[in-house]
Amino acid sequence: MERERSDWDRMVKNLQWAIAGVFVLFVGGLIIWIIHLIRTAWWLGDVPSASIGISLVAIPVFLVLLGVVLYVFWGLLTHQREE
Amino acid sequence: MVEHKDVHEEILLAPIAQTGPGFYWAVAGLAVFILWGAIAYAVQFHQGLGVTGLQQPVSWGFYVTNFVFFIGISHAGTLISAILRLSKAEWRRPITRMAEVITVMVLFIGAGQILIDLGRPDRMMNVIRYGRYQSPLLWDATSISAYLTASVVYLYLPMIPDIAVLRDRLKKRKLFYSVLALGWTGTEHQQRILNRAIAIMAVLVIPIAVSVHSVVSFVFSMTLQPMWHSTIFGPYFVVGAIFSGIAALIVAMIVFRKAYGLEPYLKPIHFRYLGQLLLIMALLWFYFTFSEYLTGYYGAEPEEMKVFWAKFIGPFWPFFWAMVLCNFVIPIACLARLSQRTVGKVLIASLSVTVGMWLERFIIVVPTLSFPRVPFPEGVYSPTWVEWGLMAGSFALFALFYLLFTKLFPIISIWEIQEGRETGLKEVEERLLTYLPDEAEANILAVSTRGR
Amino acid sequence: MALWGMVIDLDRCTGCQACVMACKAENNVPAVGQKEAERGRIISWMQVLTETDEEHHSEKMRFIPRPCLQCDDPPCTKVCPVYATYRNPEGIIAQIYNRCIGCRFCMAACPYNAKYFNWYTYQKEKPGQNPDVSVREKGVVEKCTFCHHRLQKARERAHAEKREIEPGEYNTACAQACPAQAIIFGDLADPGSEVSKLARSPRAFKLQEELGTKPKVIYLTEGEGGG
Repeated sequence: MERERSDWDRMVKNLQWAIAGVFVLFVGGLIIWIIHLIRTAWWLGDVPSASIGISLVAIPVFLVLLGVVLYVFWGLLTHQREE
Repeated sequence: MVEHKDVHEEILLAPIAQTGPGFYWAVAGLAVFILWGAIAYAVQFHQGLGVTGLQQPVSWGFYVTNFVFFIGISHAGTLISAILRLSKAEWRRPITRMAEVITVMVLFIGAGQILIDLGRPDRMMNVIRYGRYQSPLLWDATSISAYLTASVVYLYLPMIPDIAVLRDRLKKRKLFYSVLALGWTGTEHQQRILNRAIAIMAVLVIPIAVSVHSVVSFVFSMTLQPMWHSTIFGPYFVVGAIFSGIAALIVAMIVFRKAYGLEPYLKPIHFRYLGQLLLIMALLWFYFTFSEYLTGYYGAEPEEMKVFWAKFIGPFWPFFWAMVLCNFVIPIACLARLSQRTVGKVLIASLSVTVGMWLERFIIVVPTLSFPRVPFPEGVYSPTWVEWGLMAGSFALFALFYLLFTKLFPIISIWEIQEGRETGLKEVEERLLTYLPDEAEANILAVSTRGR
Repeated sequence: MALWGMVIDLDRCTGCQACVMACKAENNVPAVGQKEAERGRIISWMQVLTETDEEHHSEKMRFIPRPCLQCDDPPCTKVCPVYATYRNPEGIIAQIYNRCIGCRFCMAACPYNAKYFNWYTYQKEKPGQNPDVSVREKGVVEKCTFCHHRLQKARERAHAEKREIEPGEYNTACAQACPAQAIIFGDLADPGSEVSKLARSPRAFKLQEELGTKPKVIYLTEGEGGG
């Protein structure tokens, strides 16, 4: 019974961290994509200023989003019991 | 106290715990429209965009109109909920969740409209491989993905305590709820973290939401076309978006209030406040529309005037005047006095605004394309069954998403309702006291003035 | 570097549509059929627009043959999300048919309606077509390219013979076909070329010049007395 319970908890925990991992990948992917667009624009001489300007706003926004999500995941998952 | 809790949990969890025949009928009804849309898209995918009514010069029609409309509706949610939360409006408690769900669901539908509109959907990945940030379409892609991400997070975070209730009280979907509850036990530390995160998100989501409909408007205003190339399009679209968003929110609230018996939670007072908000937006929308058209009229550039008269008295007059009626006359008439029969009046106004704002998007997209600058043969755009099907399907898919959500999660935030009675009451009293002049201080001041 | 441009003399244009037909044959522009034409889906890279004079009502008609104006500051290339349309160094606005996603943003942005869309698969490759020009698939935007394939051919020939391209060696199909010689094509960067001289004529004007798109197709208005 005890073993079953801890197996279940472990699975739940793994899945929860997996969601956090997916989110990291998602935001990471978006940032890599934006950088890729800057690089393409740079190579082609195709108004790189537009991509740089937008990325200056977009990348920090996505990073803040990532920060909030990780803060919640970390905070909630590591403080399930009252200290 | 404990009994109170149980009552709310029981009522608000009921739609998730049991499912009646009404649900299946609703799903079946929506499925018919979704099927129509799916068939329409299959035909279009196979044969090409020729199956639509689009032509030269009207190369954008229903799909782009729907894109602007749905993205506009998305401003209901997150934006309004964030503003109400930040301004500590206590009446927000039963509303925020419903609003946030609209945003998340409708953004998927709205972004989908652009995919439907593509002549080569098989080359969609080109946007990722070769995208270029000079194009406003890429601004849309970035802004909407930020908004979607932020809205999902902003919907999810305040739901965590409720998911924990579902995990503990419901017999089904144990793993699903356990994972999503993030080990919520309601410790003080957890509460502190969650409240802080919600506050950050509420601040973050407002500029993102404003950016979304601004860049949607930029798709039009960045071109040189008559009646598109306008500097007020950004704020004009944002105002219209919030306007249509509130209307859609009210409609959704009334539907689910009736369907799930939520009358004790969504009282006439809530509709009255939202109705007043809608009234303000109607006036603001009228002001923007007036400024936009007066500027065009006074300048009287020939190309602008062609489009202008086409809307006022030309082939588009029924749509234009129906828009004015639905967006201004009817809402003003309904919302001016809300002391009696509040819910009915607010519902009529909201339905009318929803229709009116769709017409507004249509009247912005199509007439400009119909009357180009050069003497090009004019074409009349009339949508085919494919476009109607995809439009019906889109609306139905949105309704289905929303309905399914209410079957998985409580549509009214349980813990926020409980919090309202437990801590909200005291907080409001304390806050109110800080607004008032301090009695002791006032006394001292009074004595000193008397002495003088 | 050359800057290819065109002068169209409206005084000479008779509205005979020879340029339109020559363009269609040269560039494999599909015939869409009567039904599609009635729905407003004719594809015509070179299109003769008719303008009625507002002062003289329907008494006076003006024919404006309109190819792609190959703007030096094109509104269409700015809005393309995938670099499927761009201005090449010689000033010609190129279309990459195999990259276009069919969003039609460039069509909405073009103030001259010079861009056309393949609503259906209007044609497949078959004998009798010009082998130098690719046949467009459904769902992509196409437009006049100043017969760019002819430039490539001329350039290759000149390269093989180790010389520069001579004036007149590269000409567009419409200019070649015009019986009234109303269309003159050439290098605007060369001040001695015929197009450059005509472009400096007091009769010269550009379509919607106030938009600042800097078109490289220059029109010559009708002479004082004539019409």
